[in-house]
Amino acid sequence: MSMASDRADYYALLGLLREASQEEIKHAYYEAAQRLHPDKNQTAGETELFLEVQRAYEVLSNVKRRAQYDATLPKESTPLLFVKDTVEYSRPNLVRLEEPQLIYVLLEMSPRNADEKIPAPPLNLCLVLDRSTSMQGDKMDLVKAAASQLMRTMRSQDIFSVVSFSDRAEVIIPASYQTDRTKLQSRIQMIRTGGATEIYQGLEAGMQEIRRNLDTQRVSHLILLTDGQTYGDEQACLQLAEEAASKKVGISGLGIGNDWNDIFLDALTSRTGNNSAYISNPQEITKLLMEKFNSITNTLAEDILLEFKLGEGVSLNYAFRLQPEGGPLVLDSPMHLGPILQDTPLTVIFEFVVEPSASKSAQVGLLDGSLKMAMAARPMPVPPLRVRFEQSVSDTPGDDPPPLSIIRALSRLTLYRMQERAREEAQAGHYESATRHLKNLAQHLLDQGEKDLAKTALLEANNLERMQSLSENGGKEIKYGTRALLLSAAEVSK
Amino acid sequence: MIVCSKCNHTNMDGAMFCSECGAQLIGSDVLTTQNMSMDVVEESAKRDAHSSKPAPSAVLNTWITLHLMDTGQMLPVSDRGEFTLGRISEGQPIMPDIDLSPYQAYANGVSRLHAVIKRTASRILIMDLGSANGTYINGKRLNPNIEHPLSNGDIIALGKLKIQVLLKTS
Repeated sequence: MSMASDRADYYALLGLLREASQEEIKHAYYEAAQRLHPDKNQTAGETELFLEVQRAYEVLSNVKRRAQYDATLPKESTPLLFVKDTVEYSRPNLVRLEEPQLIYVLLEMSPRNADEKIPAPPLNLCLVLDRSTSMQGDKMDLVKAAASQLMRTMRSQDIFSVVSFSDRAEVIIPASYQTDRTKLQSRIQMIRTGGATEIYQGLEAGMQEIRRNLDTQRVSHLILLTDGQTYGDEQACLQLAEEAASKKVGISGLGIGNDWNDIFLDALTSRTGNNSAYISNPQEITKLLMEKFNSITNTLAEDILLEFKLGEGVSLNYAFRLQPEGGPLVLDSPMHLGPILQDTPLTVIFEFVVEPSASKSAQVGLLDGSLKMAMAARPMPVPPLRVRFEQSVSDTPGDDPPPLSIIRALSRLTLYRMQERAREEAQAGHYESATRHLKNLAQHLLDQGEKDLAKTALLEANNLERMQSLSENGGKEIKYGTRALLLSAAEVSK
Repeated sequence: MIVCSKCNHTNMDGAMFCSECGAQLIGSDVLTTQNMSMDVVEESAKRDAHSSKPAPSAVLNTWITLHLMDTGQMLPVSDRGEFTLGRISEGQPIMPDIDLSPYQAYANGVSRLHAVIKRTASRILIMDLGSANGTYINGKRLNPNIEHPLSNGDIIALGKLKIQVLLKTS
C-alpha cells in the first residue's frame, strides 16, 4: 500500500468518527494534547504528532474549515487497513412480544490479511512476583526458573523489568534493555521468601517500572504471579488497573495453587482487557508464562475498546470473550474487549435483553458505538470502527436456525455460567440450588465427553451436600476447566 | 417464554439453553411435539420398515441411501426421483420430503428447506437451497442454487450434519 493511504486523516488522528460532535472533538483533542505534549512525551516522533494533532484540531473545531476539509476526504470513511470485523446474530429477527426476549450477538475481529505478517512490536514488560511466605519451596524455585527463562527469550529490542513483593516491594531488575543476562539471572536467584501478600505494593512498583518507558510503539504489559489473597487493598489495585488501562498497559494474572482470589484477579485484569489463568501444578508455571509471553509478542492490536450506548429498552446482560483468552468482560462503556493476535481473532459474545416496549418498533437498535484500537505495530493512529448491532422485528419467529458458531459458543458458555452461578449460590449459603446446578453441570460435562471435569463437579456437589462448602481447588478447576472448553469451542467453529 | 422440557424452568424467549439445567432449548420442541404431514409419516414408515427387515421391492428400487454418520442410521430412498432435505417445525408452509429433525438437525444447523437431491438419466445431483449454514460435499462449500454432481461415497454436510451418500451402482 502507498504511503499516502497509510497516512491517517484528521479524524483518525484524534480517534474520532466522521460524524463526531464539536464536544467530542474538543474532548479528543485535550486528551491527545495532554498525552503528546512536548513537556511529557518521551518517544521520538511524538512532537511531530503533537503538532499534527494541533493542526487537526484547528481545522475540525472550526465549522467552516471542517466542512471544506470534509469535502476533500474520500466518500467512505477509511476502511481499517489491518482488521476486519464480522457480526452474527442468534436469530434472524426479533419477535413482537409482550414479554422480554433474549438475543445473542457474536462479534469477531480478525487480521484483514492473515498471510501478511506484521513485525512484532517491541515490548515493555514487567514481571511482578509474589515472594510471600507461602511461596516458599518449590513454588518460588519454579517461579525463579520461569522468570529466568522468560528473560532469556527477550529480544534485544525488548525492555524488561522484574519486581518482587510481599507486604512491600523491591525492584529486582529495573526497566531497561537487558544485556548482561547472567548477572540479572543471579539477581532473580537472590529473591527470598517472607512476609504477607499485598498485591498493591507489587503492582504499584511494577507500574512504576513500566511508566518509565511508556511508548505508543511498544506493547506494555505487566504479568502478576501470585499464590495468595490480598486484604484491604483491592480497591487501590482496581484503581491502578484503571490507570494502566488508560495508558494502554495490559495486566495479566497467573494464580498458583488454591488460595488466591480468582474473582479479584479477574476483576483486576479484565479492566485492561486481559484475564487470569490458573496454575494448579507449579510445574506448569514456565509453560503458562511462556504462553502468555508468546501471545503478547503476537499482538496485532492491543486492547480493543468498545464505546457504546444501548438502544432504548435494551439491556446488556452478559458479555464474554471467547478468544484469544476466555474471560468475562466488565459491562460498562468503554468496554475493554482485549487484544487481537496475529494468529487468533478476538471473539466476543453478548447477551441482550429486549423489553416489550422496544419490540414495538420495526427495527431495534441493540447497541451503537465505536471500536477503538491502538496498534503498537503501526506508527499512525488507527481510525475507530463504527459498530451497530440492530435487528428487525416481525410478528413471527424467523425461519433459520442460529449460526453454528453461536450454538457452539453458547453450549459451552452455558456450562461456564452454571459454574459461576453455583459458586455464587454456595457463597450466599444457598447450598441446595448450588448442589443442583453443579450436578446438572456434571451431567452436561459428561455428555460432552469431559469425564475428568464432570467428576470434579460431582465431587464438589457432594462436598456441598455434606459439608456445605466447595473446596478451593475444585471450584477453580471447574471454572478454568469450563473456560478452556470455551476456547476449544471457538477454535472448532472456525 | 420457553419452558424447558427437562426441568420446567421458564426461560426468556430467544434463550437457546436452559439457564437452570443447561439443556438445549431450541430444537427440543421439534423432537417432542412433531407436527408431521402424511407425506412424511409415510416416508418414516418406510424407514422403520427398512430398519427391521427391508422389503425386497424397496431394496430393488432404492437408488440412494443416506448414511447419517453421527448416529450410524441408514435412510434408504426409493420411490422419488427428487427429494428435499430439511427439518420440520411448527407453522412451516413448505415441508421437506425428508425430515432430519430426529437426527439433531437443529443443533447441527440444518435449515427447514436445506438442500435437494435429484436423479437424472446420467447423474445424481445436489443443490443447496440457500440454507443458513451451507451444504458441503467432502468439506467443500457449495454455491447455493447451483446443482453439483454426487458420487458414491461422497460425504455431504448440511451445516454440521454429516451424511454419507451411498448410491446404487447398476
